Amino acid sequence: MSGESFLFTVFAAATCLSAVAVVFSQTVVRMAFWLIIALGSTSALFFLANADFVGAAQLLIYVGGTLVLLVFGVMLTASGPYLKIATSPGEIVLGGLVGLLFLFVVFASLNGVEWRKPTAHSIEAGSQVVAAGNTLRPLGLSFLGSRPDKDSSTDGNVLTPGYLLPFEIVSVHLLVVLIGAAYLARAKRRAVQPN
Amino acid sequence: MVGETLRNLLMIAWLLPLAGFAVEIFGGFWGSRKSRVAAWMSVGCIGIGFVCSLSALLIWGGSNKWTVLHGADTHGTSHADAGHDAENHAEPAHADHETSQAHTGDAAVSHVSPDSHTSHDPAMERGQTVFSGTLYYLARFGSLDISLDYYIDSLTLVMFTMVTFIATCIHLFAMGYMSEELTEEYVDHNAHLANGHHVHRPGRYYRFFAFLSLFCFSMLGLVLAGNIFQVFVFWELVGICSFLLIGFYTERKSASNAANKAFIMNRVGDFGFLIGLMVLWTFFGTFRFGETVNENGEVIQAGLFQMLPRDESGNVLRDAESGDVKIGAVTASEPSGKRTIPYSLLVVAGLGVFAGCVGKSAQFPLQTWLPDAMEGPTPVSALVHSATMVAAGVYLVGRFYPMFVQEVLLTIAYAGCITLFLAATIAVVATDIKKVLAYSTISQLGYMMLGLGVFGWGAGLFHLITHAFFKSLMFLCSGSVIYGCHHEQEMPKMGGLWRKMPITAFTMLVGVIAISGLAVPGSASLLNYFLNNESTVWTLWDPQSTPDQIEETIASKGRDTVIARLAEIGISTDEESKLTDSISELRKMDRKSLDDALSPRRILPVAFSGFHSKDAVVATSLAFTKANPSHFLLFIVPLVTAGITAFYMFRLWFYTFAGKPRDQHIYDHCHESPWIMTGPLLALSVFAAFCAIGGEQGPLYLLITGDQPSHVAHGVAAAAGSGQINLPGSHAVHEVHSTAGTFALIAAASGTFIAWLLYGTTMVNVAEIKRQLSGLHGFLTNKWHFDELYDALFVKPAHIVGKFCAWIDKTVFDGIIHASAKLMVLVSKWDRIFDESIVDGFVNLVGNSTFAAGRSLRVIQTGRLRQYVMFIVVGVVALFAILFTTFPG
Amino acid sequence: MTADLNSYLFVGAVLFVCGVICMATKRNGIGVLMGVELVLNGANVNFVAFSKYTDLGLDGQVISLFVIVLAAAEAAVALAIALNFYNNYLSIDVDRANKLKG
Repeated sequence: MSGESFLFTVFAAATCLSAVAVVFSQTVVRMAFWLIIALGSTSALFFLANADFVGAAQLLIYVGGTLVLLVFGVMLTASGPYLKIATSPGEIVLGGLVGLLFLFVVFASLNGVEWRKPTAHSIEAGSQVVAAGNTLRPLGLSFLGSRPDKDSSTDGNVLTPGYLLPFEIVSVHLLVVLIGAAYLARAKRRAVQPN
Repeated sequence: MVGETLRNLLMIAWLLPLAGFAVEIFGGFWGSRKSRVAAWMSVGCIGIGFVCSLSALLIWGGSNKWTVLHGADTHGTSHADAGHDAENHAEPAHADHETSQAHTGDAAVSHVSPDSHTSHDPAMERGQTVFSGTLYYLARFGSLDISLDYYIDSLTLVMFTMVTFIATCIHLFAMGYMSEELTEEYVDHNAHLANGHHVHRPGRYYRFFAFLSLFCFSMLGLVLAGNIFQVFVFWELVGICSFLLIGFYTERKSASNAANKAFIMNRVGDFGFLIGLMVLWTFFGTFRFGETVNENGEVIQAGLFQMLPRDESGNVLRDAESGDVKIGAVTASEPSGKRTIPYSLLVVAGLGVFAGCVGKSAQFPLQTWLPDAMEGPTPVSALVHSATMVAAGVYLVGRFYPMFVQEVLLTIAYAGCITLFLAATIAVVATDIKKVLAYSTISQLGYMMLGLGVFGWGAGLFHLITHAFFKSLMFLCSGSVIYGCHHEQEMPKMGGLWRKMPITAFTMLVGVIAISGLAVPGSASLLNYFLNNESTVWTLWDPQSTPDQIEETIASKGRDTVIARLAEIGISTDEESKLTDSISELRKMDRKSLDDALSPRRILPVAFSGFHSKDAVVATSLAFTKANPSHFLLFIVPLVTAGITAFYMFRLWFYTFAGKPRDQHIYDHCHESPWIMTGPLLALSVFAAFCAIGGEQGPLYLLITGDQPSHVAHGVAAAAGSGQINLPGSHAVHEVHSTAGTFALIAAASGTFIAWLLYGTTMVNVAEIKRQLSGLHGFLTNKWHFDELYDALFVKPAHIVGKFCAWIDKTVFDGIIHASAKLMVLVSKWDRIFDESIVDGFVNLVGNSTFAAGRSLRVIQTGRLRQYVMFIVVGVVALFAILFTTFPG
Repeated sequence: MTADLNSYLFVGAVLFVCGVICMATKRNGIGVLMGVELVLNGANVNFVAFSKYTDLGLDGQVISLFVIVLAAAEAAVALAIALNFYNNYLSIDVDRANKLKG
């Protein structure tokens, strides 16, 4: 077993187990904890897959941003830190069964697919990318349309459309969403009606 | 130029009342019901109309230098001229456009080049006297122009002046008579509600005057009309106005019935009128009286009056083979006689037009509406009976004279003859003061028709004008009596009223004398003999006179006087030596021709207007009877009726004004009318007395006959062996004039005497006579049972037919309809069952199943978020399961 | 267990299924949100794996970056909604939100 495989096994197991733990945790704080583990392990898997920039983004945004946001949500909505909103056992059993069934289905279909192998050129290009030490520069170039990892042309120097426009759209979208979220979440001086 | 002035003046006179009507009819909205503004406006309109009409008459006279009034001269020459005219007429072969016009009216020739007539034609010396043209084009259907035309001749002008003057008087009178309507709440004592109360309604003063204005507008339009279709339009307008006014007290059952009766009776006549119009248009292609002229002054279509050329004897030209009547040149390019019309259809056209006149002028057999029309207010009766409605019929017969042939004229004569006798006899027994006058109107209209029918064109219209004056006067007098007696109309309750209302009594007497035709007997010959110095001429002429006597006469009278007298009768003298020649020439004349020559200078008897006009009618009928001995009744009947007329008119006067009061209560409360009512009476009485002064040599008669149809003057001699009647010319009438006048005067005087005997004195017990002749009296009181006769002849059969139709309707048609309705109901019931069970069932089934499906599916819509997620998962799993099982491997 | 494509995909599948089950069973609104994050992560793992082991190349990584950004946006909005929900019901129990029950 190589070191990569070992690391992969460890992090994959951590990811899967903590994800299952999220499902079976009863309090929201524990769920948040297990979620951090799961997301962190996932970022480790990204690093293992040579996607260092994505892994970093995962750590920064998910673990550092989104989860903090979730914890804020927990604090703002929970009556107490260990609030339990119990799910009926029947539902859990049913959910578990369905989940297993779904997992089986997904596994079965994954096994049945013959994935397309990378071409020699892309492997070479990918090795060049890896040799460069990080994926930051290729990613930035791909935003501008230059794709060293692709044999889109004979010499590989022709510009493709790139991701600059989607990136700008997503940026504006994020801005709009954040403003909208702030608007939605602002405190309203409204009489609280117990229902 | 003159034509335009006349046209404009008459248009003002004609249209002003319409403008007045348009304003006055809103009097109830715009003003108080107590306001007299509408009345003054109405009087103003018609008054200005009178001024305009009179100015038009004067301008017309001035334009032809009053040659019309020297008609005596033209009369004298007309005999001599007859030969020339006859020559002219005798050459139909070259009857080009101009000559065909010359046939139909001396004066109708407005566009004839002067050289086509010789200078001694009197018509040409007079200049243009007839003006016709178009005011406004309404529509054009093929070759038929529907337009507003005008036709102005002396008759139009005289009618205009007469109508506007009388209407003005009547308007003024009505201002007083209708003053009871000047209130917000008028109580009609003759109209009852279902609960027995009197009708209360707002006063309708303004409305009355609005209707009067409309009436005047319609009548004037009728007179001015230049085509027969326009006449028809205004004819109907007059009818509707009379309907509105007769039914003015519309709450009274009798008034509304009378209005309906008048209207429906007139429709009967108008039906004939329409037939006549159709015939005329079919064969003549135009409705215009005068010719149609384009903008260059060229005649493009001859008028109706120019299209019926007549030969030298006055007969219409007939085609030798077919007997059809030849129609004169229709257009300038077309030769005369190219078109023809069957003689029978010409008669039909004439009779058709006359049928309209029968209805409008209340002639036999359509006379029954007129007495009922007394339900209208008295001023209306005056207007209807003198100047407007009934005058329209006579006027139209006169206006349309050129189109009438002998058969039509004979029909007219007999219709008039029957009517005048019939109505006069009924008038004898009538006791309602207005009814007497109504029947007398019918009778006098009969005289007019008779006069027109026996070829007395001038006589009939002359009587129309004079009658308009004295009949309106008498109606207004009766209105004054009724007003003074607080709406009492029964003569037996009056008596001795002259003490209470002297002006009314006096003016009424003037009217009564006028209509009776009384004159001072012998005054004519005496006055003529002395005042007019006829004696000189007669002495010189007398075969028994010796030359010494002649010398003596010349010496005593003076030579210049004698020469002047001789010059007056057409014997000119220059030198002394010639005077004896002149006298010998005079002595060669026979008595009759000398008498004729003298007659234009004669003074007529001292008499009121009615004498002159009735005299003219009777004289014409006598001349007619002489020419056609088999029609002797046409003279006897009017002569006898003249006596009856005098009798019932004086009976009315004695009954009402003379003697002792028979109803003291009415006598005590009656009073003379205010000045606004007596003023018009006085004005009218002057005209009733003196308008016809001079008789047939007087200005009025000459004015009327100024433009008479040319063939009238010469008479019409029937073609040998044709079996047609002869029509007397003016010369023939003149011959018998004095005879007829004497007869008529005797008849009138005896009638007057009997009336005085019976009603003016107490010598004869009237009631006893009435009792002895009760059968006749009842017959007459019931108006010869005409109403009953028409009831039995027309109304009852109509009812029977109506009932039969109603029975058929109720049994057959209603049965069919009911059966089909029942069938439909049955079908509908089955249809309903089908609808409710099958169609509705299907629809409900669809609806219910949809609803049930929704209800069952609703269960899975739990609204719970987590379940939805679960469903998604289960759904994905299920999809994959299907996928795997369907495509294994 | 070697680090090949299928292994990554298995991990992604586990994450995905866990997220789905989490959404389906948690009554806590925040828990549901966490399930959503798990699901998105599972997808991300797949993209990155495809990026490495197929000729998808850097496209996979770019898409997973976009997914991360969108997930952040989604989390912000969802939290705002959760706060509003809590304000209205004084609870975070999503079973209380059953107004859409048919």
